[in-house]
Amino acid sequence: MIPGASVGEVVLRVSDVSLRRGGTRVLERVSFAVVDRIREGAVTGQVVSLLGPSGIGKTSLLRVLAGLEQPERGEVIGAAGAKLDARTVGLVFQHYPLLAHRTIEDNLVVAGRIGGLDEPRAKRRARELMERVGIDERARYYPAQLSGGQRQRAAVAQQLVLPRRVLLLDEPFSGLDPAALSDVTALVTEVANEHELNTVVIVTHDVRAALRVSDTIVLLGRSANDSGMGASVRATFDLVDLGLAWEHGAKAPHAVAELEHEIELRFREPSARRPLL
Amino acid sequence: MVSRVLRPNRAVDARTSGVLILGWCAAALAVWALSPVSTLPAPREVVGALTDLWWQGGLGPELYTTLKLIAAALACSVVLSLALAWGSVIPAVKPITAGVSKLRFLGLTGLLFPFTLATGGGFALKVALLTFGMTTFLVTSLARIVAEIPRSQIDYVRSLGASEPRVIWETVVRGTLDRTIDAVRQNVAMGWSMITMVEGIARSDGGVGALLLNQNKHFRLAEVYAVLVVILLVGLVIDYGMGALASLVCPHARFESSDKSERSSS
Repeated sequence: MIPGASVGEVVLRVSDVSLRRGGTRVLERVSFAVVDRIREGAVTGQVVSLLGPSGIGKTSLLRVLAGLEQPERGEVIGAAGAKLDARTVGLVFQHYPLLAHRTIEDNLVVAGRIGGLDEPRAKRRARELMERVGIDERARYYPAQLSGGQRQRAAVAQQLVLPRRVLLLDEPFSGLDPAALSDVTALVTEVANEHELNTVVIVTHDVRAALRVSDTIVLLGRSANDSGMGASVRATFDLVDLGLAWEHGAKAPHAVAELEHEIELRFREPSARRPLL
Repeated sequence: MVSRVLRPNRAVDARTSGVLILGWCAAALAVWALSPVSTLPAPREVVGALTDLWWQGGLGPELYTTLKLIAAALACSVVLSLALAWGSVIPAVKPITAGVSKLRFLGLTGLLFPFTLATGGGFALKVALLTFGMTTFLVTSLARIVAEIPRSQIDYVRSLGASEPRVIWETVVRGTLDRTIDAVRQNVAMGWSMITMVEGIARSDGGVGALLLNQNKHFRLAEVYAVLVVILLVGLVIDYGMGALASLVCPHARFESSDKSERSSS
């Protein structure tokens, strides 16, 4: 355990979530919990990465968390122990969709207006967020005029116009160059650490990037013995317990590399049932 | 320059493009002027016929009648098509949209009798026929535009907390407006090309189509070509106007098309 770190209440609990689409089982009794990370002298939110091979059902789980899809069974519980309110959940889709017919500023203002803010407040909030994520000079641009990194920041900013306790990011590291990747990890950390109860859930298959930014890693997989079964949680890695979360991971590159190797092995061996830790 | 304009898949600047267009137009005029086909009136004869038709033959009022007809048919067609295409997001409406789209395989000739009975003939009949002809094709194009909206785009707007009417507004109505205007633009061209046939059905109301057929009947070829030139030029002006409207209402569209072409070339 990292010195000075402790855990508080559960801020997000995914309990026994199963999902079937058509005749196919997508998720099978997925369960994991996200706990409030507490650090002495610092406001610390939570960053959880859902890792798994492509097509395993990670995005489907994200859709369930966002309230876009109803699970066949199971539930998603928020910080207060009540069912997670979809209005407090932001979702940034892969490829960062925005409203192509609106300027960047309008995209943010519309998100505010939809959420019930009046025009002046929505505009104020939009300007504040554009400045924060460094796209204020692109306010009058259309999404098609932005680079991939700028579009991603705009998409994150749009989801932050309204107060969100949970922010879901679908494959935020895909197709980014090292500089843009660094920007995204910094932005994710900043968003998470804005409030003690903020939780960022990232869906990715990029193990290295996930280890760099997360405090918890949830590995999704499908057992080879359970043909026809959906994906379930194969392992959970508490990087705070392992002493590899936050800036501590950078101080222990060998331990991080070993863990990365172990996780990648699990990617290749879906039938492995034994818990790693 | 010559090698540049002859190589495939090369982009040329606006000036070169203009030179190419002027060059081809000059070549076409030269072919026309020097054509040995004696039944083809010379450009000078066509210009003379055009001047006569405009000042003495009532081409101006006939053109106004035709423009009134195409405007009325376009308005009816756009309203009906948009209602059916946008309505296709509702499962109960979808079969009606698909059914109307399939009617494009029907010809207008067989429908003349029921449409005459229903409208009483004259201008209303022509509007009805043209509207029918345009709507079946426009519905097909617009319904495809709506069907091609990615599911992820709809989910994305929902993830902002939007109500279903707002989701439809942002994704179906505003989100596809540039492509909708483009489809209408193509449809206007189709309707414009149907003008001669439709106006030929009720010639008493006039119009450039009726004028063309009357000149044709008396084998006045210079006048026929003069009317054809007017039909072509007005069609081009309408097309240009619709393009300008699309740029004005949907300025984002030009960035999207360049974005797509950049992505496909990278």
